[in-house]
Amino acid sequence: MSNLLEFRDLRRYFEGEQGRYVMESGSLEAGGIMVIKGPSGAGKSTLLKTLARLLLPQGGQVYLQGRDWMGFSSPEWRRLVQYVPQKPIVFSGSLEDNLQIPFNLKMLQNKAVFDRSQAVGLLNRMDVPGNLLGQSAATLSGGEAARMALVRAMLIDPQILLLDEPTAYLDGENRSRVMQAISEWAGMGHSRGVIMISHNDEDLQNLSKVSVLNITVRG
Amino acid sequence: MMAHSGYIPISYWQLSLSVILVLITGVISALLGLGLIKSLLWGTLRAFIQLTLIGFILTYIFKLNTLAVIIPLVLLQCYIASREATRRIDKAPHNPLLASFFSLTASTFIVGLIVVVVIIGPDPWYKAQVLIPIFGMIMGNSMNAIALSLDRLYSEVHAHVEQVEQMLAFGASPWESIVEYLRKAVGAGMMPTINGLMIVGIVSLPGMMTGQILAGMAPDLAVRYQFVVMVMIAAATAIGCLTIVGLSYKRMFNSDGGLVDSMHKN
Repeated sequence: MSNLLEFRDLRRYFEGEQGRYVMESGSLEAGGIMVIKGPSGAGKSTLLKTLARLLLPQGGQVYLQGRDWMGFSSPEWRRLVQYVPQKPIVFSGSLEDNLQIPFNLKMLQNKAVFDRSQAVGLLNRMDVPGNLLGQSAATLSGGEAARMALVRAMLIDPQILLLDEPTAYLDGENRSRVMQAISEWAGMGHSRGVIMISHNDEDLQNLSKVSVLNITVRG
Repeated sequence: MMAHSGYIPISYWQLSLSVILVLITGVISALLGLGLIKSLLWGTLRAFIQLTLIGFILTYIFKLNTLAVIIPLVLLQCYIASREATRRIDKAPHNPLLASFFSLTASTFIVGLIVVVVIIGPDPWYKAQVLIPIFGMIMGNSMNAIALSLDRLYSEVHAHVEQVEQMLAFGASPWESIVEYLRKAVGAGMMPTINGLMIVGIVSLPGMMTGQILAGMAPDLAVRYQFVVMVMIAAATAIGCLTIVGLSYKRMFNSDGGLVDSMHKN
């Protein structure tokens, strides 16, 4: 089976730390979920942000369906390989305003439209009531904000989701619901996949096509 | 005391009487133990020497009245002012001096030439007695505005690195990812000027107008000059802030349109 995403010797030094760096290779098949594990300080988040081209790598190659990542413009790449930070970023305005932000950018204008019913469907799937759409996003709980951020990323319709501990703000029942939604998302179509950081093995139960990338502290 | 065409000159003897004022400040500082006496004396001495020197220099330059001297002098002032504007900016990923010099020079020359050549219209158009004070006023205000804008720009972006990265992740261009903070930075730079427009004549009588009145000009004529000066300063700060922010924001991003590494360090 051909790989959806492949990275070889992707290397990035961390700021502020003497000579520490992350250097990894890996590949993700279509529909797959790659789980990054490793001790804190090994550079898991740095690896995700480098894959998202939010940090410049010091070396390595990345291919999306065989195409070199430098063949994409950086906004195009970041949209396709969508990074969701651990701490959900909430902007001012309502929940709906927050979901619409990516659609107001030059990049997505005239290419994709915000689909309200799709948004409500995804929110419901993660147990966030649709009637919260008009509510000020600042009033969302941590768990609701985390799910809003995940829905927002899915609505952009990326090929890869890079998730930094997507269940960190969630309790038991919502954790498995969100993990199921992530797995379903990855399984839809033939060109989607997820790379996520997780410390919780329970989250990975009952999920198919999971691979693990263990990373160690280097430098 | 003799009246010279409307204004009353201060003789050296009268000037020396101003020591009384320095003494008052010194006594207050000593009584309260502010520890300012040394700075006060040094400051007073410096102010006296600097003003005396510039008095002689200006008198000389006004007599020469040639562009070959006026332009280098204005450029030198712009350089000193732009250094002052960037002195306390410590969060910039690059030294902002060059951008500051460019913004200050552009705003000073664009607005200054409009005021001097189009509105006041002296003969010759570059008459030093008009051009130098007008350019100086623009520069001083533009300098403060640029410093405020730069400071606000970097503090806003530093405080919102995660938001900026989120916008970039959505596919935003560098401009789109920080436009909100760029607006705030320009606003911060222009705020004192806008406030000045609101209160002028009510709360404050500006130095320039006061000076002209002391020099014997009728107040109703002095206010015309003052009005021109106020709108000129507003235009110059707008141009200065817009230019400095426009030149500076790109330097916070790397060649791949991500934030440069130094912006990640909090």
